[in-house]
Amino acid sequence: MTQSMKEFDDFNFSVDKYTKELTRECVGGSDLQQRKKEIEAYSEQTSATLKQTCKRNYMKFIETAKEITHLESEMYQLSHILIEQRNILASLTDGKTSSNLKAESVEADNATTEDLENSHATRAVKEMVQGFNGNLEGKTFLNEGALIELDPNDYRPIQRVFFFLFNDVLIVCKVKHDKRLEFLSEYDPKKIAVINIRDLDGVKNAISIITTDGSKMYQSITAAGKSEWIEKLNEAFRFDQLKKTKKGPAPQPPTRVKQQPKSETPPPSHSPAEPKSLEDETPEWVSTASEEIQTLIAQRHFEDAQALIKRTQDYLRLNNKLPSATIIERKVKEQELKLTNVLLKELSNSHNRNLQIALRAVKRPLKILVEMGRFRQASATLLKVCTVSLRVAQREARRNNAEISELFFCDLTQVACDFLNAFEEQPACVSALVVWCNAELQYFASQLIKHYLTKGTALEAVAKCVERVRKPSTKLTEIGLDISYHLEGLLRTTLESLIEESKQRLLDTVGRTEESWQPHNLHTKSNLKRMLLELDSLGIDVRAQTTGDTWINLTQSTVVFIRHFLQLTEHCACLAKCETLLQSLELLLRDLFVAQHALKPPSDMAVDPNFVMKNKIFLVDNLLPIAIEKFRHISGRQCDSLRELQTKLARQQGAPLPKQRSVYTTDVF
Amino acid sequence: MSKKPTAGPALHKVIMVGSGGVGKSALTLQFMYDEFVEDYEPTKADSYRKKVVLDGEEVQIDILDTAGQEDYAAIRDNYFRSGEGFLCVFSITDDESFQATQEFREQILRVKNDESIPFLLVGNKCDLNDKRKVPLNECQLRAQQWSVPYVETSAKTRENVDKVFFDLMREIRSRKTEDSKATSGRAKDRCKKRRLKCTLL
Ligand SMILES: Nc1nc2c(ncn2[C@@H]2O[C@H](COP(=O)(O)OP(=O)(O)O)[C@@H](O)[C@H]2O)c(=O)[nH]1
Ligand SMILES: [Mg+2]
Repeated sequence: MTQSMKEFDDFNFSVDKYTKELTRECVGGSDLQQRKKEIEAYSEQTSATLKQTCKRNYMKFIETAKEITHLESEMYQLSHILIEQRNILASLTDGKTSSNLKAESVEADNATTEDLENSHATRAVKEMVQGFNGNLEGKTFLNEGALIELDPNDYRPIQRVFFFLFNDVLIVCKVKHDKRLEFLSEYDPKKIAVINIRDLDGVKNAISIITTDGSKMYQSITAAGKSEWIEKLNEAFRFDQLKKTKKGPAPQPPTRVKQQPKSETPPPSHSPAEPKSLEDETPEWVSTASEEIQTLIAQRHFEDAQALIKRTQDYLRLNNKLPSATIIERKVKEQELKLTNVLLKELSNSHNRNLQIALRAVKRPLKILVEMGRFRQASATLLKVCTVSLRVAQREARRNNAEISELFFCDLTQVACDFLNAFEEQPACVSALVVWCNAELQYFASQLIKHYLTKGTALEAVAKCVERVRKPSTKLTEIGLDISYHLEGLLRTTLESLIEESKQRLLDTVGRTEESWQPHNLHTKSNLKRMLLELDSLGIDVRAQTTGDTWINLTQSTVVFIRHFLQLTEHCACLAKCETLLQSLELLLRDLFVAQHALKPPSDMAVDPNFVMKNKIFLVDNLLPIAIEKFRHISGRQCDSLRELQTKLARQQGAPLPKQRSVYTTDVF
Repeated sequence: MSKKPTAGPALHKVIMVGSGGVGKSALTLQFMYDEFVEDYEPTKADSYRKKVVLDGEEVQIDILDTAGQEDYAAIRDNYFRSGEGFLCVFSITDDESFQATQEFREQILRVKNDESIPFLLVGNKCDLNDKRKVPLNECQLRAQQWSVPYVETSAKTRENVDKVFFDLMREIRSRKTEDSKATSGRAKDRCKKRRLKCTLL
């Protein structure tokens, strides 16, 4: 048979010829009938293989897509880390330049690296880009990189492109299959309009560039890459302006001349010992202290100001009989207050959309304030600063479709660690931290509720969302913050109403589909096999119920319910890890089960009552124990409602039938 | 895997214009995500898209939130060209921003070359009525001169936020149906437009 079927695969297969030959070969109608059957069988087999191949490829596709998103997120993280590092390096070089000596050499360094970059980029364009003959001498290189051009109508990728950006030209090349670059066009950055595409049907990291040739859409691989392009194109746009302003203030040396005031302040050694010999005469440094402090504050030498305040106060404490002591003390107190206010202002101005940067910026004022003993005010202000960063980050992440839970808890941990480092010994501050955490948690929960746990969300998505929140929140216990309980409390009402709503929705669907109350025919062997495997993966084996090649000796509705119920059990169990939800989840599972169990054929339908009974018994004896165990295994809790239901229904069935049940239920009664 | 014809819901392109700091981004974000953003960060040009139901019909709105800064004036033409309707925003607490609307209006008319382009004059920050610098009747007068609607909004309290976007989309939609009628039927629409201009003069 396969021999004759081979002909179908032939490239030159002709229907006419085949039919003619077939009719010639065959003797009589029955033979033809026979052939027809064979061909039909072959056709069925082919379509089955086709389906399988399709499915296999589809699975592969899904796997790959998953892998890609995984890689993408890794890349995203990496680029973040890189930006971080770059910031740190930048702040290091900043620190260097402020010490005058090294400034020049650094600048010289900068200049040479800039030149190097320029010539490197110029050479790259010359060597790699076919068809570009422009002159790049004397231009400043700003950025380069690969992007994907998207169709502005359906956002499908059109081609891979590569950009070289110099101060006054943007060179766009096409990336050919052999990775070589072909020159497409060049534009004047001053005539380019760039649009940051923030939200477009989930298209990530896209920008639109309007040039003299119209508007085009490009996608960067990472979010960081996209912001870099926007920044650099803007830099090119303003290049001439920037250059001018850069030249202006450049010749002025950095303003902080740290050494100078120190020499004016008194040598520290002479404070306690000397005054004795001078008796009632106030040393000059003490009498001028308050003015000196004022100057130091104005020059932003806060550390020195604080040191001088302390030294003066120490001195006055030991020499409190000096006639001018009270006046000086009052003046110094005034300055101390002023310094505190300045530092607090400094602290509260440190807010930044990037938490790391904010935390770095607060370090200096924070340290001094702590030394001055201003724990309460300092800690309160610090927390306010963190609030801004945390909330902005959450909003940004949501808009970029990034994972917000992990981010939130990561940030929260970071704040908590930094905070505890600074204020560990201050119980009042620590409790302020706890209060703050709860407030942030409340905001986070409200965001989750508003954007991820909206009405109508399927239980599966709810379970996933909640799982993603719970894991990191338990981790915080490691640093002594127990917020899980509070978080569950915040989400509870929402989750409960979602569960209730799902329950109604699920109950509404029970018995909706038409049921013939006949064994379920899956029509092909492969369909049956697939169904069996799927049920295996959910933990139930129904092979004992199969008959023939394609039948399961249960109704279709029962089979579908088994699958659905076990999936639901997984999601419910996941949610039931928190005890407060346990009851409503149990009820959902129980009510759904009872509804399915109660299904019966309409009275006018001729159905074998034994078959109806068989379905019910299968649900109670096979499905229920597995669901109960699954629930317990995932949630770590017993599902009492289901267990009670099982005993009750088993009793109703009369016959004890204690086949597999014993393992699970002997402990009741 | 063949190319789908991108029929989809109708797409209406809206552009936010106005001086910096008047609340263009705040209005956009309030409309998009139901939230008020306190922190001020100068925008360059951000685009957003959202599916909404407009009088029972599902449509897409594309919002381009632009920069108010002077130095972008030169390339603003490029942005404006793609717009089908404009929300021209000023802050009722800032007279300069109100004066600036005149310039924006002129630039839009020059780029679009169409006196009856869908356009709303929007006085934002109406929650700060006690700090009001631009009298209501002046705003209304200007709107009347331009033959455009005037609406006061607050991105903070969400007052009239949906209204301005939806009203503008309705205008854009009716302009589109008008235009398509004109191209399928006669050029009688041109007369209409001219008539509009006449009443203006
Ligand atoms: N009170 C109040 N403040 C607003 C309102 N709209 C915007 N703001 C604030 O005004 C500042 C500038 O807003 P923004 O949207 O960035 O202005 P844009 O430059 O026009 O985009 C921000 O600090 C906003 O919080 C409003 O309706 N009421
Ligand atoms: Mg803005």
